[in-house]
Amino acid sequence: MPGQLHRQAPGNLDMELANAQSQDGESKGGVLAHLERLEIQLSKSHKKLEEPQREQAVESALGTKIHKLRLLRDKLSAEVKQRQARVKVSAANVEPDQTLEISEQEILERKQENVKAILQAYRFTGISGKLTSRGVCVCISTAFEGNLLDSYFVDLVIQKPLRIHHHSIPVFIPLEEIAAKYLQTNIQHFLFILCEYLNAYSGRKYQADRLQSDFAACLAGPLQRNSLCNLLSFTYKVEPKDQSFPFCARLLYKDLTTALPTDVTVTYRGTDASATTWEEQRAAHEHMFFTKPLHQVFTSFARKGEKLDMSLVS
Amino acid sequence: MRRDPAGNVGRAKEMDETVAEFFRRTILKIPITEMMAVLKAWDFLSENHLQTVNFRQRKESLVQDLVLLCEEKRASLNDAALLDIIYTQFHRHQKVWDVFQMSRRPGEDIDLFDMEQFKSSFKKILQRALKNVTVSFRDTEENAVWIRIAWGTQYRKPNQYKPVYVVYYSQTPYAFVASSLLKSNLPLLGQALTVASKHHQIVKMDLRSRYLDSLKAIVFKQYNQTFETHNSTTPLQERSLGLDINIVDSRIIHENRVEKERIQRVTQEIFGDYPQPRLEFAQYKLETKFKSDLNGGILAEREEPLRCLVKFSSPHLLEALKSLAPAGIADAPLSPLLTCIPNKGMNYFKIRDK
Repeated sequence: MPGQLHRQAPGNLDMELANAQSQDGESKGGVLAHLERLEIQLSKSHKKLEEPQREQAVESALGTKIHKLRLLRDKLSAEVKQRQARVKVSAANVEPDQTLEISEQEILERKQENVKAILQAYRFTGISGKLTSRGVCVCISTAFEGNLLDSYFVDLVIQKPLRIHHHSIPVFIPLEEIAAKYLQTNIQHFLFILCEYLNAYSGRKYQADRLQSDFAACLAGPLQRNSLCNLLSFTYKVEPKDQSFPFCARLLYKDLTTALPTDVTVTYRGTDASATTWEEQRAAHEHMFFTKPLHQVFTSFARKGEKLDMSLVS
Repeated sequence: MRRDPAGNVGRAKEMDETVAEFFRRTILKIPITEMMAVLKAWDFLSENHLQTVNFRQRKESLVQDLVLLCEEKRASLNDAALLDIIYTQFHRHQKVWDVFQMSRRPGEDIDLFDMEQFKSSFKKILQRALKNVTVSFRDTEENAVWIRIAWGTQYRKPNQYKPVYVVYYSQTPYAFVASSLLKSNLPLLGQALTVASKHHQIVKMDLRSRYLDSLKAIVFKQYNQTFETHNSTTPLQERSLGLDINIVDSRIIHENRVEKERIQRVTQEIFGDYPQPRLEFAQYKLETKFKSDLNGGILAEREEPLRCLVKFSSPHLLEALKSLAPAGIADAPLSPLLTCIPNKGMNYFKIRDK
């Protein structure tokens, strides 16, 4: 009610303002109230402003959630489809799994064959062996100048004392002697020495066989030899077109562990007057027999032609 | 040892009667089926010569023709001896072979064996001791030589119809001798062998058989040549002996299968999988005291050892022994006296009390 005078306690400014306000309407001591009202209006309008924002935030939050849930849903439904598809495939077609198993077996078999092949290839190292029920069967594979020659076996029984069960060593190789010296005390040395003897024998035999087969035309009569091939004696010519066989050679191999001779004697048995050239040839031949394998000496004869290259004699 | 084909039309000297007769009897021995092969190996009569002879006629006439041909070609006693060697090589089983073992002094030099030196040395030793002796040689493969010796005496010419044969492989300690009936000549033969082959001593082994190749396999230790390698495909266990219990006939039940398998295993361990060397007998001379479980037996009290001879004979002794246990006739393992034969290189045994 304007203009109504309210009796108020003195000092109550607010009250006075409020009174003033109420007197003056909304202008006076209603200033604070007015400010208050304005403040309230402001906050209300802020709130009004904020609400849509909040709502928007909530809305967008919800929207994001929806989006996420949708994604999850899609993912899950895709997975379900995949599994269904796999089940169908495996039900219809069992083979893919089996071939997986078979190829594993194949792989193992191939590995086994590979290992077996490696074990077989050990022969090329010269000494190889295989365990047996009573010990070990050692194989000594001989070779000469890159040519693989005969193999010899020693079947050992691992007992105390170590003994040889059976073997394929030729009877003229002194196996008993070598065994008596080394078999019980140092088996590695035993095998090494045996290897030396057998390789040397094989090498000498190879040279003699090659001479007999490849250069029979250069020899007068058969090559004289013995079981160990450690004494060779032959009469020969250098020129295939020669009528006579002017040279005699006698090769001794006193060291049974080597394939080259220790003693060489070449004699000239022709009747040619020009002794010096023959003597030079004879000496050159001797030198060659000492240093080269037998069949290679004859190969170089064939290559040289008439005159022997004196540069060989040094 | 062949003469050069001289081609003399007017023969100065006819062939000796005895030599001609020797030729006749040697050629007569040869079976018709082998005639060509033997004559070719002899290589004295060439293809052309042989073509002039009718091989379809009766044997006696054929022999006559061949002897005439030999006379024409001036064949010598040595040629006849060579023919005899070849015949014997074809029929080596007709002789019984002994084995001799030579030895060297320990630490002697390497054996540089020269075949020509050996032959000449051997011949010289015999000829120095016996004026009347015919020695012939024929080289064979594996660096071996067959030697034929016809013995005579101071006053008698060599008897060509009772020769001794020796087979020697160079650089080995063994010599194989077809039994000489003349025991008196044996020491001389031994001496010639040892000196010519540069050995010191010779000893006769207790090993004898008709089968020269088996004797060689035994003393050269060549009879077991199966070896386990990574190349072999058959595992040894799968190989079976002759009496195979795995042959399945479902109507037959083997009650003692375990025992049969044990016997097979033991037999295989002892005799191996290889073909056994061929021997015809094993002889055991016993000089042992009689041993008896029964007390008071007649023989039990004797101080004197019993002398008795046990001889096992067979067309193929070792194969027969191998089949004893699988056939159920003997227990396995067999007595070592039987199974040691190839290993020890003996088939004559003397058994005494220890």
